[in-house]
Amino acid sequence: MTTMQRSAVTKRRSTTEIEQSTPEWQKRLTSETAARVTALLAFVVIWVVMSWLFSRVPGPVEVGERLVDEFSRGEVFGNFGMTLYRFFIGVGLATVVGIAVGVVMGLSQLSRAFLESPVLVGLSIPAIIWSFLTVMWFGFGDMSPIITTFLTAVPFVVINVAQGVRGVSRDLRDMSETYNVPFGRRVRHLVLPAVTGYVAAGVRFAIIMGWNGVLLAEWFGGGGGVGYRARFWYDANRYGGFAAWVVLFVGFIVILDRFVLDRAIQRSFRWRDSR
Amino acid sequence: MAVLTVQNLSKTFNLGTARESRVLDDISFEVKGQTFVSIVGPSGCGKSTLLNIISGVEEHTSGDISLTSDAGGPARMGYVFQDPRLLPWRSVMQNMMYVQDDQSPATVSRAKEYLDMVGLAKNADFFPGQLSGGMQQRVGIARAFAVEPDLLLMDEPFSHLDAITARGLREQLQDIWAQSKKTVVFVTHDVVEAVELSDRIIVLQPGGLIYEDITIDLPRPRRQTDKNVATLQAEVLARLEKLKAMSVAEPVA
Ligand SMILES: Nc1ncnc2c1ncn2[C@@H]1O[C@H](COP(=O)(O)OP(=O)(O)OP(=O)(O)O)[C@@H](O)[C@H]1O
Ligand SMILES: [Mg+2]
Repeated sequence: MTTMQRSAVTKRRSTTEIEQSTPEWQKRLTSETAARVTALLAFVVIWVVMSWLFSRVPGPVEVGERLVDEFSRGEVFGNFGMTLYRFFIGVGLATVVGIAVGVVMGLSQLSRAFLESPVLVGLSIPAIIWSFLTVMWFGFGDMSPIITTFLTAVPFVVINVAQGVRGVSRDLRDMSETYNVPFGRRVRHLVLPAVTGYVAAGVRFAIIMGWNGVLLAEWFGGGGGVGYRARFWYDANRYGGFAAWVVLFVGFIVILDRFVLDRAIQRSFRWRDSR
Repeated sequence: MAVLTVQNLSKTFNLGTARESRVLDDISFEVKGQTFVSIVGPSGCGKSTLLNIISGVEEHTSGDISLTSDAGGPARMGYVFQDPRLLPWRSVMQNMMYVQDDQSPATVSRAKEYLDMVGLAKNADFFPGQLSGGMQQRVGIARAFAVEPDLLLMDEPFSHLDAITARGLREQLQDIWAQSKKTVVFVTHDVVEAVELSDRIIVLQPGGLIYEDITIDLPRPRRQTDKNVATLQAEVLARLEKLKAMSVAEPVA
């Protein structure tokens, strides 16, 4: 080469060096916890500003007061319990049925050809349609929220599990085949660990979509529960009470996701972290 | 008694839209018990395909294959693949036990013995991701020996490893083989390796025909530094000189 090149040195810093040279305040400020706290603060600030600008947006203080009112009236636990009962039955059914159907769909070409379109249709029908239909079919009781939850959630489990089962390594399946590994052991040590992530993702979607479903069905079904109570305040033009219930059920789903689901998922992937 | 009999075996891959490719063409051979046979040939001549057909992972187009077991019942097979093929979410020991018919303590200690023979006794509780590539390959080898197979298939088990590790493992393989005298079908593209390890070398040529069937009659243990080994290696290489000129398998209409 004819052109002169100035030499440049790229130095790679060791983790120890990075650890020692970063000041404490900077480490805290750029931590993941700081990011989460910042997001929460930003949300509260936006909420407060919106409530100043628009009279129909109740501020955090008002919502807090309504929340306390609802607790002291004894409305919270009864309605929450009712909703949770419906929700867990619906999501539990969706998980069990979804994993079974998903595994079959992932293993057999024929069943995939048969089930692919129904599952896609299921995915594209929103919870609100199911809640109208189930209220029409089953009236005002536990049945319509349970079925709505199930129907909104189940396609997400099926599609994720089927995807996971199809992705189980061909090489590892061949290996099991040459060593004549019994079917049960293959499912336990090969298929299930390989699809854990997909099952978890499916169940997570199922929980979020199912929560949607149960609230909508209660909103229209009128048989009590969180959705019903939120509508009660909405119909009474009392946005504070309405927002208090929104805070309750959003808070519930966030806590469930962060502290239960997230941890369970991380635990099942320990083999991957420990390299 | 022959452990493995292959008769008029042919394999044609269907490439879709009426094109197909003949990979193995009317191959016949027999492997007797307690012998170490190598299959040698240039890349793409159908060596892995042949092993996959013997192991039952791949179907063959025509011909017969039969396996005989000593104990009666279906023949037991061990397979060391070109890559380790371990379950990433199970420990080394769990991987060893995954392929075992019976899960008794006796089997566990046998698995430990073989793990010890490949120098990995200390790593029994590691996940595969915590081992180097060579160590993973050694687990694959120990796993195959530990099922005490009637027939052990090995597909270029050392080709991904550095020269020093590969050489050490070849010597280990000879030692383990001397102790257990399994029947081995060993695929390699490395003639030098084949001469060092085998009683017999079957040379495949492009197009999937048997080019030569060579008997290697040298005392064991053989070491690469051994003069007789080196002489024979040179001789066999010279005999295969003509193979170089042949092109790699082309699809036939
Ligand atoms: N699934 C497949 N479909 C179509 N052709 C295939 C398939 N598998 C292998 N082949 C063809 O068969 C031929 C032999 O492949 P094979 O893997 O047996 O070669 P090999 O002798 O093991 O080569 P190497 O030494 O590189 O591993 C190749 O030409 C390859 O293209
Ligand atoms: Mg190959």
